[in-house]
Amino acid sequence: MSEFRIPEPVARAMIEHAQAEYPKECCGFLVGPPGDAREQVKLTNIDPDPVMRYEADPKEMKRVYDELFDRDWEVVSIYHSHTHTPAYPSPTDVKLARDPNAVYALVSLQDRARPEIRAFRILEGRIDELGVVSEEKAS
Amino acid sequence: MAVEVRMPTILRKYTAGEKAVHGSGSTVREVIEDLEQKHPGVRGAVVTDGGELHRFINMYLNDEDIRFLGSLETPVSDGDVISILPAVAGG
Repeated sequence: MSEFRIPEPVARAMIEHAQAEYPKECCGFLVGPPGDAREQVKLTNIDPDPVMRYEADPKEMKRVYDELFDRDWEVVSIYHSHTHTPAYPSPTDVKLARDPNAVYALVSLQDRARPEIRAFRILEGRIDELGVVSEEKAS
Repeated sequence: MAVEVRMPTILRKYTAGEKAVHGSGSTVREVIEDLEQKHPGVRGAVVTDGGELHRFINMYLNDEDIRFLGSLETPVSDGDVISILPAVAGG
């Protein structure tokens, strides 16, 4: 299994975001130079049924993409939470996954006391899991 | 009219990896048609067979969502920037 590295503070921030939005699904990006998930960007879930689905606010995404464009960074990962199911892509996630370059990360709060992050590539209906490695950066 | 079109990573396979390309036309639709000539595949990724903007594609002309302007018929001016942003959604 390939690895996907998430800096520990970023992983913690993803879980905090998921907890804050519970029982709604949260969504956001991990951005950085290609392949390097350095920073979290929280996005607003504008889906009318936010407990079951998510759609990121396109106005916010536009702002983020403009910044990334200027910095030569990209959306390395797209994350969202599942509040009642495991951290595994749902059929809707697979159907709507558009970006073969992005890692789709999921935060599950099925057990709120033990949040879980897992990461996947989703390509034409196929799901490949990546091993999440989350650690403090050695200084 | 010459405009810059900013491509999302998923469409850069049509532009040899370029993150922005230039197109010309007097409306967004004409710019897309012009891009299709230079970068085949772009049109199909953005516009449905029926000629409408794909449900899961957002396009911005400068800072405005074209759905709130004139959609694909929105006029463009020299120096405008069109951004193509695929929707990010799931369940």
